[in-house]
Amino acid sequence: MAERPGIALFQCQWCLFSPTDQDWVDNHLPNNIYLTKTPCTGRINPLYVLNAVQGGADGVMISGCLPEQCHFVTGNITARRQLEEFNDFLNHIGYEKQRVRFVWLDLQDRGMIQKELAAFEEELKNLGRAANLVTRMKVAEGEQNA
Amino acid sequence: MPDIEAIKSEAKRLLSEGMVEVMLAFKAGETPLHPQPAFFRTPDDVDELVYSSLNQNNLATYLTRLPKESKVSMVVRGCENRSVNALVVEKQKSRDNLYLIGVPCEGILDWRKIVAKAGEAVKSVNESEQEVMVESRSGYYLVERKELLHDSCMRCSHPNPVSADILIGEPLAESDSNLAREAVEEFEALSVKERYAWFRKEAERCIRCYACREACPMCYCTECFVDHIEPRWTESGATPAGMQAWHIVRAFHQTGRCTSCGACERACPMDIKMTYLTEKLNHDMKEKYNFETGLDAQTKPPFATVTLDDKNRFMV
Amino acid sequence: MNFILEKQALPDLLQTWRANFDVYLPQNLERFTHFMPLAAEGVTVINEPHNTRIPPKALFLPMTETLVKFTRFGGYENAKHEIEPRIVFALRPCDAQAVQLLDTSFLQVKYSDPFWLERREKTITVALGCHEPCDNGFCTTVGYGPFNKADLDAMLTDLGDFYLVETFSEAAETCFNGFANASETICVQALEVQQRAHDQMPVAFETENLKEKLEQNFSSNYWDKVSLSCLGCGVCTFLCPTCFCFDIVDETQRRERVRNWDSCMFRTYSLEASGHNPRPSRVERTRQRLSHKYVYWLDQVNQIGCTGCGRCVRYCPVGLDIRSMLRQAQSLPFEVSHAS
Ligand code: SF4
Ligand code: SF4
Ligand code: SF4
Ligand code: SF4
Repeated sequence: MAERPGIALFQCQWCLFSPTDQDWVDNHLPNNIYLTKTPCTGRINPLYVLNAVQGGADGVMISGCLPEQCHFVTGNITARRQLEEFNDFLNHIGYEKQRVRFVWLDLQDRGMIQKELAAFEEELKNLGRAANLVTRMKVAEGEQNA
Repeated sequence: MPDIEAIKSEAKRLLSEGMVEVMLAFKAGETPLHPQPAFFRTPDDVDELVYSSLNQNNLATYLTRLPKESKVSMVVRGCENRSVNALVVEKQKSRDNLYLIGVPCEGILDWRKIVAKAGEAVKSVNESEQEVMVESRSGYYLVERKELLHDSCMRCSHPNPVSADILIGEPLAESDSNLAREAVEEFEALSVKERYAWFRKEAERCIRCYACREACPMCYCTECFVDHIEPRWTESGATPAGMQAWHIVRAFHQTGRCTSCGACERACPMDIKMTYLTEKLNHDMKEKYNFETGLDAQTKPPFATVTLDDKNRFMV
Repeated sequence: MNFILEKQALPDLLQTWRANFDVYLPQNLERFTHFMPLAAEGVTVINEPHNTRIPPKALFLPMTETLVKFTRFGGYENAKHEIEPRIVFALRPCDAQAVQLLDTSFLQVKYSDPFWLERREKTITVALGCHEPCDNGFCTTVGYGPFNKADLDAMLTDLGDFYLVETFSEAAETCFNGFANASETICVQALEVQQRAHDQMPVAFETENLKEKLEQNFSSNYWDKVSLSCLGCGVCTFLCPTCFCFDIVDETQRRERVRNWDSCMFRTYSLEASGHNPRPSRVERTRQRLSHKYVYWLDQVNQIGCTGCGRCVRYCPVGLDIRSMLRQAQSLPFEVSHAS
């Protein structure tokens, strides 16, 4: 694969405990990674994930806090139940299960997000470009995507 | 077949004693293949009531369309009873306002399969336990019941109403609960590519008429995500993105709420398969959370329950 | 002109047409038939005794169609559609009639729809009459019929081993160039078949004074009764060959303004921005659907806006039947209007 795989990163705004990590995510992400920050993983509607998939994301990463550490107490548990099932469901209709990955981060996990993203990218390279479920019509040639 | 007179006399009793305001059941339609859902309000109305395996719809879909406080009686089969329970769990109706006349169900005959067998212009359909006699323009056809059953009914494991107030007829043997699981496993044994090809082929016929939504008892949102304009969740037209998103999200919103009644599939004017999607979700709910929709009127579906027991499943 | 077309010769003829036209004809799709372009491998011509599931209106008014493409900075251009000359083969008379009815809406003196117009101009319609009338259709009741010829370029009558081809336009004549002319006897024979088919269709309901009855009982509880079990889906309207409502939407993600089929049976159809809905329930929506066909079309173009194709009857998921609804309307009270 010549180009780096496109990754849609959904990040709970509380899950990166280190300001350095958050700064890296906010300002220094490589441009194959598209960041969507949410107030909690519980806010990640499966439709967001679907939107990323239909739009051609080669992989989707969801990062949130560990159980009992959710800023909103149980947002992450609800999210995990729903999104994990959504992942299984997408796999059922042809979006490989490995293309969706969860990272649940802890206080000590400094630098973890970079490592996880790098490992994910490696795996996606092996999988190749996502083709199934990529249905959203592209905007006209030469136009910048909004 | 249950005793229709027994159903009728119970219905008449409920209406004449004023125990309920309206009785939900079927009446004969204009054509033999399509009995119509009907609302009976007086004991005399009940004379029109019919019960047959051609009753295609899940009557629970009308519950949320009646005033919330109204007292309603319904003739329910296994799946309809479970849908009613699911609606009670979701507080769409109080169980106290319902009186369920339960009928053990021998499975719904798919009118499309009948037409495929007997051809156009079906004049009459007579069923017995094992066989169905169809008369059409081209002659008489004696067909085994199994061959005409709707796909979802072939996999049904709870044909008996689980919480009826009165049961008409003898309970049937519970069928093999593995059938649904096997169907899911069979599909999942296909390659990713084949599964997507199947999904795409089904979804691309969709005309977005939303009959599947309207026929489903659990689709009662005042505003469906596809009708939402700001933000627009998905493409609005009959484009691949729009059609696929509709199929994915409609099914996904049924997680832990679908009773595998198949009403969505039977309503579809384009013969699109949909239960292979919802069966997968039902299967997962059973495997992961030991939950089956509508077996009682108290247990909340998994997505409405949060528990720290999930803790150890985070690090997968 | 009248020609004879041997059934054996049909596959070759269709292929010959492909040299100059896109040929659309009903082909199997799952358990029903659907208008699809003919491929080089040929196809068995389907003699199913009724129309396709999706009406051929979709060939003129696609389910989704781009009207305008725009940019983020205010620029825009009209969408262009490449429409090749085409032959629509074996559409049924009810559906051809429906296209003519839709012309009255899309092609008006002052404004006409450019996409519709172009598709109409580039299309030759060759109908297949219904020698064996379909189940649940009721074309004769509404004044059309199984061999209704309105607005066709040619019509085929099945006479066993061959078809009689009647052509009504020069373009169609060219299409059948080289085929033998039909003799007087064959034409008489065809006429008999046509008449027999016509007579076989039962009268589904009386149309006399139907308009007045529906109109004058606008507030009757008749509407509550007939709409009770309606689910409010889009089946009857989307599959109806004369329903043409559409909704214009901006697909901002791909920067296109599109029009999609819409249905008066949907809640959102008449929902206003304020939240008010002038047709708040299925009662009003059912009334709109029936009245549009059996009252407003008559007011506007003096034709019933239903061609009796039978689709809404066959595919309504709850078995609601327009024939029985209208039969019930017959007993509504009314006064004869004295308009001169
Ligand atoms: S999704 Fe389909 S099978 Fe499931 S409850 Fe709804 S109508 Fe029944
Ligand atoms: S009923 Fe069928 S055609 Fe209509 S929206 Fe549902 S899947 Fe699509
Ligand atoms: S198809 Fe039947 S249920 Fe659907 S809107 Fe029409 S009349 Fe109502
Ligand atoms: S109203 Fe029904 S029968 Fe009449 S043209 Fe439309 S679909 Fe056909």
